[in-house]
Amino acid sequence: MGAGVAALLVVWQLLSLTVSPAIMASPADTAVALAGLAWGSKLWIELLITLRRMVVGLAVGAAAGWVLGIVAGVQPRIRAFFEPLRWVTMTIPAVIIAVLAMLWFGLGDPAVMFTVAVIVFPTMYVNTMSGVSTIDSRLTEMGRVYRFTRRLLLTEIYLPGIASPVMAGLTLATGVAVRAVVLAEVLGAMTGIGHAFSRAMAYLETPELFAWIVVLLALMAVIEFGVLQPLKKRVMRWRKEAQ
Amino acid sequence: MITFEHVSKAFDSLEVLSDLSFHIATGEIVGIVGPSGSGKTTILKLITRILVPDAGTVTVAPGTLGYVFQEPRLLPWRTALDNVAAPLRAQGRTTSEARETAGRWLERVELDGFEGYHPAELSGGMAQRVSIARAFAVEPRILLMDEPFSNVDVTLKGALMDILESIIREREPTVVYVTHELTEALRFADRIVELTPDHGLREVDLGDRAAVAREWMRRTLGDLAGRW
Repeated sequence: MGAGVAALLVVWQLLSLTVSPAIMASPADTAVALAGLAWGSKLWIELLITLRRMVVGLAVGAAAGWVLGIVAGVQPRIRAFFEPLRWVTMTIPAVIIAVLAMLWFGLGDPAVMFTVAVIVFPTMYVNTMSGVSTIDSRLTEMGRVYRFTRRLLLTEIYLPGIASPVMAGLTLATGVAVRAVVLAEVLGAMTGIGHAFSRAMAYLETPELFAWIVVLLALMAVIEFGVLQPLKKRVMRWRKEAQ
Repeated sequence: MITFEHVSKAFDSLEVLSDLSFHIATGEIVGIVGPSGSGKTTILKLITRILVPDAGTVTVAPGTLGYVFQEPRLLPWRTALDNVAAPLRAQGRTTSEARETAGRWLERVELDGFEGYHPAELSGGMAQRVSIARAFAVEPRILLMDEPFSNVDVTLKGALMDILESIIREREPTVVYVTHELTEALRFADRIVELTPDHGLREVDLGDRAAVAREWMRRTLGDLAGRW
């Protein structure tokens, strides 16, 4: 892993030597720009704005996908009802959703959060729904024989049974959410990392542009290794103990 | 306790039970034997009402059911203790009450010390003992068993049957024991009925159990020999 990171840095350095600094900033210039952003409050303000939009959009979209995915997984008729919505949200290009959101909500928070939620939804929905269909029917039969209440069926069989695909869905959805929030901010916001990125591009401040890319990568790393993986370990504890 | 009257059941076009009638009295231990596909499991599922008959009626006296499945059917994400406790919570007991009862039953099947283990950490025989503890913990009036020892190796089978027999003698539930192995049923059963290939039902005369076992062995071995 460390060697891979070093190799990427070397390739980046070599490439930056062969082209104009206006096209590609070197790792050193990027680091300087990054330090400048971090020293002032700009980095932290934009990061917080973007993070908040992403978290709200992800929470709404993922929660909707999770709940509807469970319902659709259990009830084939409801699955058929939601199939067109799944197809539309999965097929329509992200940029079109972002443009429509701007048209409906104007520039700013609501448009960005809406875009993230809509783009995240199908990932979570499909993973949850397919998770429900892989639940061992012998376990649900056992639950029925022992007259499990609906609540007990949910907490003892369905929710733990879909934990693995749901965690996989959430990891995927988080990656999608980061891309979606930046896209929506580039197009339709006057604040946030996406907006700072497009501003840097417009003013040809290439080192700052690259610094924002590094910030995004760092953000993803923190979310993935600091939040999602520990969460997954906790949720799937029983599997580890069994090994 | 359990009455089947002219019960028929088919899956798609495959007829499994046809015009079947029998009665099981309270406290009786009845073995149902028959080859695979003869409808033994279907009879148990009709008793639990997971299945409904296509024709005829199944009457079961009210009361809690215990069910020992062919495989343990434990929740892989719950400990042995919580697997036994789950059906008790379904009966409305609090989690701590349910766990206390579950702990006593795990002790009864000689699994004290394994309460916190997950199913994958248990051997097949141990997992089946958890499943037996779960079935008895609900204080069943009717205990249904579907070839409970078919996945357990011969050496363990004896020990498991000893545990099972002593609990059955103590709790006296009505027992329906389904197996393709008549000699297994002979050990507990007050009565054995055999499902015949033409969907009929034949009461096995248990007057001389040794003779019944010998006859069964002769028939099974004869079948085997015939195939060679």
